[in-house]
Amino acid sequence: MLAHFYQGQQALLLKTGCSNPTSNELLFFFFGSVEDLLIHDLYVLVALAEQQSNSERLKQGITQVLSIIDGQHQPWLNGMDLLEDAQQNKHLLSTGCERIDFLLQGGLREGHLTELVGPSSSGKTQVCLQVASNVAKEYSGSVVFFDTGNSFSPKRIEQILGQLSDHSDIESNKILEQVMSNIVCHPVFDIFTLLDVLHQLESKLRSQVYGGSKVRLLIVDSISSLITPILGGSSAQGHALMIAAGFLLKELAHRHNLSAVVTNHMVGGEGGTLKPALGESWRSMPHVRLHLFRDSKSSICNMSILRHPYIVSAFAHMIL
Amino acid sequence: SFMIVGVVDKGHKAVLKPEDKLKISENEALEILKAASHGCRLDSFEGSHAIVNGAQTAWEMLHDEAMLTRITTSCTDLDNILGGGISCKEVTEIGGVPGIGKTQFGYLFAILDFCINLELLLLLRGNRNYRIQLAVNVQIPADYGGLGGKAIYIDTEGSFMVERAMQIAEACIKDMLEYDGLLRKDSQTRHLKMQPKELLGNIFYFRICSYTEQIAMINFLEKFVSEHKDVKVVIIDSITLHFRQDFDDMALRTRVLSGMALKLMKLAKTFSLAVVLLNQVTTKYSEGSFHLSLALGDSWSHACTNRVILYWNGNERYAYIDKSPSLRSASAPYSVLYNFAVLCNHASRKLGEI
Repeated sequence: MLAHFYQGQQALLLKTGCSNPTSNELLFFFFGSVEDLLIHDLYVLVALAEQQSNSERLKQGITQVLSIIDGQHQPWLNGMDLLEDAQQNKHLLSTGCERIDFLLQGGLREGHLTELVGPSSSGKTQVCLQVASNVAKEYSGSVVFFDTGNSFSPKRIEQILGQLSDHSDIESNKILEQVMSNIVCHPVFDIFTLLDVLHQLESKLRSQVYGGSKVRLLIVDSISSLITPILGGSSAQGHALMIAAGFLLKELAHRHNLSAVVTNHMVGGEGGTLKPALGESWRSMPHVRLHLFRDSKSSICNMSILRHPYIVSAFAHMIL
Repeated sequence: SFMIVGVVDKGHKAVLKPEDKLKISENEALEILKAASHGCRLDSFEGSHAIVNGAQTAWEMLHDEAMLTRITTSCTDLDNILGGGISCKEVTEIGGVPGIGKTQFGYLFAILDFCINLELLLLLRGNRNYRIQLAVNVQIPADYGGLGGKAIYIDTEGSFMVERAMQIAEACIKDMLEYDGLLRKDSQTRHLKMQPKELLGNIFYFRICSYTEQIAMINFLEKFVSEHKDVKVVIIDSITLHFRQDFDDMALRTRVLSGMALKLMKLAKTFSLAVVLLNQVTTKYSEGSFHLSLALGDSWSHACTNRVILYWNGNERYAYIDKSPSLRSASAPYSVLYNFAVLCNHASRKLGEI
């Protein structure tokens, strides 16, 4: 049973399971446009309906139509709902490195998209491998690693896990196998494959068909190598794909309570200084932006916060 | 409401017949179609982990990695800091000033990937007792010609000299004969029938004269390698030459170079090859002084998995690991010798250095 509401040139088709055909026609006749229906507060609508003779049917019709409209979008959440969600579902994931945890006041937050930006060989991949190992071990969660530069090194993961663990040799091999089986690596070499795989992941998470541990961390190393070949030029398609990828990662992080980490490189800016690649539109995409740099020829890495929802800029020094 | 016409499983047997109609909403139908198409897709990479098709777990990759061969640099110090040699499945960039020996590395990988592995070199360079012990244990290739290990050499500078390659090939064969004799001491002797020309015959050489040709070549590589599955290494000497001048549109240059880098990464991963890029250096002015850095700048610096920088320290040549996901930063000395297997230990310098 279809109800058509016309508003000038726009038409909104709503499928209703309504068994009562006349209430829709009455609504149409009474309100005349979708805009009128949506602008007015529910109480106002009910009050208006009360004034009519067939108020019961009108009220029924109103609730039905509004519930259909509500089903088309995300549910409205108020501050209390969001706070509850943040406290119960969005935990902090420790990175395994004390100083980074201290800098971030706990670690990486689920639901956040964190970006690691830095010049070449500043330690971005190392931080990613470190976080992956720690999350797989401490939280027994799955980690999905999208690798664009063949820099995922299982040998390095083994080394890191060896440093983190303090079990005897006999058990440690079994534990190593268990933990490393939770870290999954997928090589991606173009943006379309990335988007495809993220969609796959999303539908699998939504339908919950897979077995095994909960996915807690998603890493894309590095997203800038996928986007740089398509960004710029005469068409805006590259830009659109970049934004689409960013939004998809953020949605995955929020909806499924996981933490997303991406790495970005730097390009020359004005006056010879370096600035993060991917331009101005990408700047506001990640929730948290961390800048890594290494003093030349020393093993000390420096990390500073460029952007964070609630932490003021700060520095940390560490040895990776 | 939607009506399912029929559902078949992978064996093409009907699971649901048309008579069973499903009353589902449009969204649910879309979900089912999406899930079905994802499940049936064939992926190019191995592994079918439950979360994502085409992914592998770290545990599986650890074991796969242990079985990958590495291409030795013929210098044990350098091999040690490289974890055994240049690894297949990765893109390695080697940069340095002119005259430091980048092209020598190029020749070496083109020839050495053919048959020699680290154990063999340990045999030849190590002490006598160790040699004999290893000679018994080391795995012998079925026949020298069969292991394969062809090379693709893409020359943009025109610096490939066949005479030098011949010299190196002859030196390698001399080494192999020595090994063969050592190994077959106890069993019957087998003549090593190999000519330097055969070794050279395993190198596919391409000469590139412009950036258009270079882009075309890289696009063509995938098809070429899928037809010649025994190629184990691709050497590009040098990757940056044609992009340094005559490129007005810098943004276009960045796009083209990063696209090229991704294609090379994909090539290395898909076919398990080692890709070696030789790069020039340029002077950069920053923080009040001039210093050398690799050409093509910051945007190219993330295009490789590993980076080795060759530099002079006084009169000696050193190699430094600048970037690697699993190796520590370290330096190792090396030398370029005149008429032996090109690069030798630091200790053998006295034999006649170039």
